[in-house]
Amino acid sequence: MMRVTSDEDAALRVHAYVDGELDPANALGVEASMAADPALAAERERIEVFRRLVREHLPPEEPPLGLRARVEAAVGMRRPRMQPSWRALAASIAVTAVVASGATSMLVTPSGSNAAREGIVDAHIRSLMASQPTDVASSDRHNVKPWFNGRIPQSPRVVDLGGDFPLVGGRIDVVGAIPVSTLVYRHGKHLISLTAMPAAGHANSAPALSEDAGYNIVRWTEGEVTYWAVSDASAQELDKFAESFRATPPDR
Amino acid sequence: MGGDEDHHQRFTRLVLPHLGDAYALARWITANRADAEDIVQDASLRAFRAIANVAEGTSRAWFLTIVRNTAYTWLRNNRPSALMVVDDLEKLESEQVATTNLDRGTPETALIAKTEAASLEAAIAELLPAYRETLVLRDVQGLGYREISQVTGVPIGTVMSRLARGRAQVIKTIGGKST
Repeated sequence: MMRVTSDEDAALRVHAYVDGELDPANALGVEASMAADPALAAERERIEVFRRLVREHLPPEEPPLGLRARVEAAVGMRRPRMQPSWRALAASIAVTAVVASGATSMLVTPSGSNAAREGIVDAHIRSLMASQPTDVASSDRHNVKPWFNGRIPQSPRVVDLGGDFPLVGGRIDVVGAIPVSTLVYRHGKHLISLTAMPAAGHANSAPALSEDAGYNIVRWTEGEVTYWAVSDASAQELDKFAESFRATPPDR
Repeated sequence: MGGDEDHHQRFTRLVLPHLGDAYALARWITANRADAEDIVQDASLRAFRAIANVAEGTSRAWFLTIVRNTAYTWLRNNRPSALMVVDDLEKLESEQVATTNLDRGTPETALIAKTEAASLEAAIAELLPAYRETLVLRDVQGLGYREISQVTGVPIGTVMSRLARGRAQVIKTIGGKST
């Protein structure tokens, strides 16, 4: 164990010595060999200078702003109430910018509690934690739409948006004890859950944006159905998704 | 739900303190900040699902193992070309067994000490992935050899030789640039 078998072996021991990985007996052996061989002593000096350089220039990092909130949202944790959330603040600035630009007719809903919204966001989070975000996985709406038959009373509108928002599949969520259809679309690496809630007697409404547990939500009502799109995609992209869904006829 | 709450508390205690290290490791592996954030989010979810199984004192190395594996899976799926060099590494290492001996012509320590942060980062980024992750885990994140062996899934002897070679190459690069 103590025998130095080659230059490489000797060098590795010097590294281990500087790293504090050797027991006292082996450390003593390395100290003796460094005293005897200037090349080993120089190696030690280089390693120590290098380590100082790294400590100075590459100190331990804080996670980027918003990453902790993203992670907490992904595992279904609620943020502490008293702590201001920079992410929420940043999101609200983004929303304001979109509204102020007049590019869309979006309305910002008050972020007060809403049982349906919480249920839908919870379902989205649960689906991300499950091994599959869908009960039926298919990019073909002709497979997804019939799957809902007999499982829920309504026949959901299933459209294939292709392009930026490919269809991934569908699932049944239970929101407030009502089984409802949820379609899952993908945007880049983000999944979008689109839940259709029966809304008989409700007036049509334009897409409205809100945020819950770090997720963006766009809600609109059309033909006695209220649609909820939930995702960690940005507010603008989710709005684009809603526009695209609303603009695409079901039989495309 | 009481059970969920315990898992969340455990996650807060054992995983959340290491988000900075996790992000840094994912960024060193992918060389991309946005990808690193997505990887950390994904890895966190995996860690949360397995949070009941982690032992108290080992949570950092355990979480970094998940982050590392998630990052390589991500690279394999999204940037397979970045990984081709990794496949060649074992062959390379077996061929190079005796080449990294003491390089008696290495740069002066005084030159090394003057290196700027950007040159240091660039020199580390140039390393082969296996050398880079070993060096980052040891020198940037302060893991011990045994922990690095656990995170990267190779024997301690391999950790030692990768670390020595990685350091030697970085020192050579920055020593050359300072002149």
